[in-house]
Amino acid sequence: MKKSVKLIFVIAIIACLLLPLLSACNKSEDGTSVTDELVIYNWEDYIDTTLVDDKYKNEENNFINYYKKITGRDLHITYTTYDTNETMMTKVLKGDANVDLICPSDYAIEKLMKAGCLLSQKDIYNELKPKLEELGIDFAGMSSIGNGAGNIDDEVLAVITETFSEVKVGDKGYTEFMTPYMWGTLGILYNVNVVSEEELEEKGWGILWNVEGKTTGKNEKLENKILMKDSVRDTYAAAVLYMKEYELLPEGYEDYSISQLINCTDDEMLKAAEKVLTEQRDHISGYEVDFGKDDMLNEIVYADFAWSGDALWAIEESYDEETEEYLLGYYVPEIGSNIWYDGWCIPTSVNNRLAAMMFIDFMCDPMSAARNSMEIGYTSAADKELLQNDDEVCEFLEENDYDVDEYFEDEGRYPEINDSLGVMRDFGARSEALVGMWQRAKSGNGVSPVLWWCLLGIVGGVGLALCVYFVVQALRYRSRNLGKIADKSNDSTNE
Amino acid sequence: MAKIKFKKLRLTKKVFSFPYILFLLLFVVIPLVLILVNAFLDSDNNLTLENFKTFFTSRANLIVLGNSLLVGVITTAFCLLIGYPVAYFCSKMSSGRILVLLYILPMFVNFLIRTLATKAIFIAIGVELGMGTVLFGMVYNYLPFMILPLHTTISSIDKSYAEAAQDLGASKATVFFKTTLPLSTSGIISGITMVFIPTISTYAISQLLSNGKIFLFGDSIQLSFEQGLYGVGSIMSLVMLVFVLVSNLIMNAFNSNADAVRRSLW
Repeated sequence: MKKSVKLIFVIAIIACLLLPLLSACNKSEDGTSVTDELVIYNWEDYIDTTLVDDKYKNEENNFINYYKKITGRDLHITYTTYDTNETMMTKVLKGDANVDLICPSDYAIEKLMKAGCLLSQKDIYNELKPKLEELGIDFAGMSSIGNGAGNIDDEVLAVITETFSEVKVGDKGYTEFMTPYMWGTLGILYNVNVVSEEELEEKGWGILWNVEGKTTGKNEKLENKILMKDSVRDTYAAAVLYMKEYELLPEGYEDYSISQLINCTDDEMLKAAEKVLTEQRDHISGYEVDFGKDDMLNEIVYADFAWSGDALWAIEESYDEETEEYLLGYYVPEIGSNIWYDGWCIPTSVNNRLAAMMFIDFMCDPMSAARNSMEIGYTSAADKELLQNDDEVCEFLEENDYDVDEYFEDEGRYPEINDSLGVMRDFGARSEALVGMWQRAKSGNGVSPVLWWCLLGIVGGVGLALCVYFVVQALRYRSRNLGKIADKSNDSTNE
Repeated sequence: MAKIKFKKLRLTKKVFSFPYILFLLLFVVIPLVLILVNAFLDSDNNLTLENFKTFFTSRANLIVLGNSLLVGVITTAFCLLIGYPVAYFCSKMSSGRILVLLYILPMFVNFLIRTLATKAIFIAIGVELGMGTVLFGMVYNYLPFMILPLHTTISSIDKSYAEAAQDLGASKATVFFKTTLPLSTSGIISGITMVFIPTISTYAISQLLSNGKIFLFGDSIQLSFEQGLYGVGSIMSLVMLVFVLVSNLIMNAFNSNADAVRRSLW
């Protein structure tokens, strides 16, 4: 009897623990309305949330609303984020990410595609064709389905096609697997009060090393007030470009194009890059990936190695209404830079192909592109002319106090695409060597002298204290003994 | 058959430890095994010893390790030098308990928030971020871990020892060095363990308080895993584990009573 009571007790405890789980299961099973699911895995701060958030369900420019209108079904979006390509790739490559959509960068797409983690959007399109006709949509905005560039900028697409022309899985090309979302350059975000334009033009990437200019001299204010990216690929690109500009490249690499240089990971190049990056440590404030914009705005640092979107966002924030001037500026050195882009991809873990494809198409819509671009500061990959000629987009920009012509002519936002901009590739097996180089560059040349001094100070201090103690003890002992001897001699004289 | 099985499942006190044992297995033992396995695999999952070679032949890795150990030693030394007098005088005062509580108060705030606040203060008063600020942050963060065990031990020392020594004519310094200090060794040992072991593996504090310029062993492990170099990252974790175990063994060898203190503490 007693035993059975105990048993019931145990079962009750287990039941209590499992109850919430069970009830959660029930809900999704007998829920009244069937809801479609879409899981998006995107960069942090990389979308205008009104487009995906449940809260704005009733607004015209919301995807949930759009989905309901087209398919007549409800949609629930699970929106998760990551902060580096590597975090996302690790999850996707290990098969842990149960997601429908991801937004990797150029080289990450290449790696995932080669690893067989991505699905061809063209294939999915062909598969869904009958259904699409039924629904009355055609995905005309997408560039990946084999119907030309769609709404995507021709020039951006041309760079992508050219760079990755030989990358293929079977007979499927790179562009079938991705639809560009945002693009931009790497450059220098600078404080206009500290760094002059002549200096920028003379020193170029050397600003980040705070080099001494022939005519402009050394900028003392900038010393230790520079931030670099805590991201090995970007920093390596900067080092390589700096070496090209200052003729520090190892022998035989002088004739390489920018694109070749950025993607060259030969041992000699790594060695040279390690040297310049180690030198740079003495001139910079540190490495960041997230607080650079804020530190620039707060004038804690005066120059930051930045992505164009972040830079444009920061520049807009830095507008001073009293003086009507911008505190910050963005500069891409003439010698060349990196051009990057992120694209929407559908991983093999996709559950809702239709919703995923519809979402990509929706992102290519001029209005969505404009909204995203305005919200996050990055340049949308949607065709510039298409946006410019779209009345709704122009109206929207004007509503938000932008001058439409100025917006589209901004060189930071829409740089001229030429040979001086190189795309980053997947380094494959060489990534390990690159990370090793980065680790060495970051760890510096030896143990910091501050540590030795501290250790010496502590040991010295403790030693000194002990010495004092023993000396005091010894003196006291001696005086006591002296006292005793004195007492003794007193005694003897008394006798 | 069924009856025998039921007999084994008795509801004793032990049963209540099962959830935690399960937790330990899932989140401590299995990850450790994974690390061990990863240490011997290369990127294509072949068995290899290359990772060991990569780690131990790299000067940079050893420098980083040396830097971390030094930072650990210095932080521990500072914590002890600052913490011991505090714990000593707090245990002498009647209001000592409350004072100790004040020292522990910062621990109620999440350490990341605290560290970010420290950074903001340094920037505001114009101190350049670097090794100095990192050391400050470390000492500041781990000081409570030193004061707590010291305070517990010192206040539990029987006062009659000191009184007896004084009655026999010992000076104040001698009383301290001959009675209080030896009797508080167990507290010192457990304080050192509790500060040294976490400091050699921290990474957030060094990263935040030096803008990523000071690169310690924890940062190095994090970078390896982030970049997908599981092999080398696992080796580093193993090396760290060895250091933790060795320092634990040394501490235990010094004093087998340390356990008693830890029990009274937590």
